[in-house]
Amino acid sequence: MTVSRSEVAGSTIARVTGLTKEFRSAGGEVLAVADVDLEVRQREFLSLCGPSGCGKSTLLSMLGGLTPPTRGEVVIDGEPLAGPSRDIGMMFQTPVLFPWRTTLQNVLLPIEVFGKRPADHKDRARELLGMVGLEEFVDAYPWQLSGGMQQRAALCRVLLYDPKLLLLDEPFGALDEFTREAMDLELLRIWSETAKTIVFVTHNINEAVFMSDRVAVMTPRPGRVVSVLDIPLPRPRERQLMRTKEFADLVFEARSLLGVA
Amino acid sequence: MSATARLLGRRWAGRGSPALIGLGTVAVLLLAWELAPRVGLVSRVTVPTPTDTLRGFVQLVSGGYWLGHLRSTLIAVLAAFVLGSTAGFTLGTVLGISPFVRRVITPYVIALQALPKVVLAPLLIGWLGFGTPSKIAVATAICFFPVWVNTMVGLSLPGADEFRLMASLRASRWRVFRMLQLPSALPMVLVGLKHALLLAFTGVLVAEILAGSAGGLGQLAESFAYQLLMPLAFAVVTLVILIAVALVTLVDRLEHRIVFWTRPEGADER
Repeated sequence: MTVSRSEVAGSTIARVTGLTKEFRSAGGEVLAVADVDLEVRQREFLSLCGPSGCGKSTLLSMLGGLTPPTRGEVVIDGEPLAGPSRDIGMMFQTPVLFPWRTTLQNVLLPIEVFGKRPADHKDRARELLGMVGLEEFVDAYPWQLSGGMQQRAALCRVLLYDPKLLLLDEPFGALDEFTREAMDLELLRIWSETAKTIVFVTHNINEAVFMSDRVAVMTPRPGRVVSVLDIPLPRPRERQLMRTKEFADLVFEARSLLGVA
Repeated sequence: MSATARLLGRRWAGRGSPALIGLGTVAVLLLAWELAPRVGLVSRVTVPTPTDTLRGFVQLVSGGYWLGHLRSTLIAVLAAFVLGSTAGFTLGTVLGISPFVRRVITPYVIALQALPKVVLAPLLIGWLGFGTPSKIAVATAICFFPVWVNTMVGLSLPGADEFRLMASLRASRWRVFRMLQLPSALPMVLVGLKHALLLAFTGVLVAEILAGSAGGLGQLAESFAYQLLMPLAFAVVTLVILIAVALVTLVDRLEHRIVFWTRPEGADER
């Protein structure tokens, strides 16, 4: 079967129009994100890919309502976004686990923030931790976990409250190459099992092509989306895919759009 | 390296040895202190030996009146510590959660930190008289600072991503404070409290020495020294040192238990 998920997946979950962010700095105004139009489709895996300073993290932050745009608008499910929403889950490059909490307590953090009873969600939290192979580390503290295990726990934390849209800002960027590849495959597995929509920021072109249904290619100064590339590669994706001509062609196409072919 | 040397090296690097070296050092120092006045290196009238001090201690304890002074000092220390820490923590929190206020106030805090706060003692004694209130006031004024500054700085310790995570969950300000900032600040607050305890002790003793009629261990030591009853004066000073060491040890234990995450397992080994 060679049908890509973006063809089966349908409607738009998020729409970005004319989104612009200017930062004031010592040297004057810096245009971090300039006039971006983009749509995120239900259940798709979309990557924002570009070099440092191309505004991909700022764009993601605006999508999550954490950074107010200078101009333009983000519409989620037909509603203009005015700030952070519990329908949107964010993951950062660092796991951001609190060292005074066990793995389980860290995963339950959102429930406590929402003012609900953590006890009611313990079973689900354990189930999620089991899904990423952390069942043995439920009562361990973050400093007892490896970097990859910490990001797995952070992933469970965001999955626990079941947001529709996941925004992942280079979540495995701080991990070594081997761990990152393993985490990528794990994320794809979880994504296919949970039917979430994911927007994934990365500067790694291979990773973006390997993971995504579509790749939004971004260039810096000012930060723009130059093109959105369809990735019609079959799923589920395996490492061997990277050795195919189709994969190499798509990576080459992305590289030419970035001017590094 | 020979096998014996390696074995010896491992033994020296072992668990018990630092304590052993510490005890050895204390023994050598005590011996030197005992001998110096006896061989006439220093006058035994002004520097009594450890055994003289011990005898002075027995004399002090059998006299009975020392208990009143001890109680007076400890009550003042406790009162000043509670007052100063509460005020320091409260002000530190108010300023710590407001970045704007913190930015504006910080330069003054640094200036105040550099000030030798004991200089306030004569003023406070002048205003409040020679009684217990002035003792407590002096100690409160001194021990307030470390708690204030450490609370303020501690609350700003969490990084941008920590705050962004809480913001992405739409956490209320109160929850951000209680679930993120306060636990992050706790290690520094506890260090501040430990300093505050010792500073409260210092403040009370200074006030007692300056304002003799208030009573307390400071006044006791000062009056013994004034009468050249050096073994008794040494006994009181030793008592003060023992109390201070006991207090710090207690607070250290509590600290390690409360903020367990600042010393992950394995870190003790070094």
